[in-house]
Amino acid sequence: MGAINLQQLLESQQLERCPFPIPAGWFHVDFSENLAKEEIRNVYIFGQEWVLFRSESGQVGMTDPYCPHLGAHIGHGGKVVGENIRCPFHHWEYDTEGWCKKIPYGKVAPPITKKQAILRTLPVVEKYGMIWAWYHPKCEAPSWELPYIPAIEDESGWTGDRKGSWTAHTAIQEIAENGVDFAHLKFLHGAEAIPPAEVNFDGHIIDINMANGYIVGRGYGPGLNIFEFTQNGVSATMISYTQPIDVDKSQMNMSFRHKDYPEGSQELMIAKKIVDHMIGEAEGEESAGFESVDFIVWNHKKYRPNPLLCDGDGPVLQFRKWFKQFYVADEDTLAKI
Amino acid sequence: MAQVHVTTREGEVRTLEAEGGSPLMEVLRDASTGVEGTCGGMCSCGTCHVYVVDEWVARLPERSEDEAMMLEALEDFVELRPGSRLACQIVLDDDTSGITVEIAPAA
Repeated sequence: MGAINLQQLLESQQLERCPFPIPAGWFHVDFSENLAKEEIRNVYIFGQEWVLFRSESGQVGMTDPYCPHLGAHIGHGGKVVGENIRCPFHHWEYDTEGWCKKIPYGKVAPPITKKQAILRTLPVVEKYGMIWAWYHPKCEAPSWELPYIPAIEDESGWTGDRKGSWTAHTAIQEIAENGVDFAHLKFLHGAEAIPPAEVNFDGHIIDINMANGYIVGRGYGPGLNIFEFTQNGVSATMISYTQPIDVDKSQMNMSFRHKDYPEGSQELMIAKKIVDHMIGEAEGEESAGFESVDFIVWNHKKYRPNPLLCDGDGPVLQFRKWFKQFYVADEDTLAKI
Repeated sequence: MAQVHVTTREGEVRTLEAEGGSPLMEVLRDASTGVEGTCGGMCSCGTCHVYVVDEWVARLPERSEDEAMMLEALEDFVELRPGSRLACQIVLDDDTSGITVEIAPAA
């Protein structure tokens, strides 16, 4: 510790773009309305394929594709039967938690099927009108719950159906790191000045307050961030739910909401302008939204585990230390992060 | 070499010899004694059920939880005896050489 490794600064070939494993946490899988009852769909996320299905009663299951019996891909030819998904090969059936519920020909069910689930499934909840899955590389149970988000869960008082989805060719940590890199807001985004900011870390939660309340953000693990932007007393909310598709590919998804201000009001106009500004370049705004400028950096940068930081940079290292809690990996891998 | 004396379902009595360290299930299966050993030794099919003769029962290691659960499940179909074991859980070696078993009926 303590000294700058000049060799590392001068030579970048050994640097990797994305040395991170897929982090553990709750992640958006899809919108609930996109999965009908008795539907089966193969989805690629967390660096592998999964079979997503909705049972007859409406329960969602997300399973490893390969049948524990003889390895058939359940998502190719499988079928929802009642509360179970049925493998096409020998019609073994599994429920949404991966318990083997039926083997249609064996007289004696293998004892293990009575003791535990044998098909890997991810814990799934439906919230905010979406399907969320808990990913943990070692299949551990969720260690925290998804929060209540008034802007998207309250039945009245809020509006806004704008959504966006963008592919970034980098890891989720690299995207999130920009949230604490306050200096880049001036230089990459063209903000008037580097905003004053405060960051706090508490367990799986990170709190960011930028420009004295202009942007107040809270992150819940690696897969959910809620930012409230306030201008002239009017607020708009950005709910951001990025998916780790692969170690070097992330799908950034956002929903934009604001209070149900009266039609034609000044407040509504401001709220809509804030939303425009969050996404792209709003008319009359001096700085650029993330869409127009961040991707060029994310898609090409390499990760420096030992960056050369100067005063005026944000709490990048504190952020990295906080984010490390979501990685479940061997020491060699963690050392590169 | 280790030996096992086996009585088949048809009542035929045979003595088999095998390399020490072989799972008893494989020895019985490969000699076509009626043992199938479908699952390969994971206590999940119950097709290698044998009755170990009384004097050998106490000389074998205890049943594992998985083996006990499978035997319990088999009880709906075939007679269980104190000597009921899954042959896949018995290693034929110097300690068990000379063991006498009877192949249990198929479930």
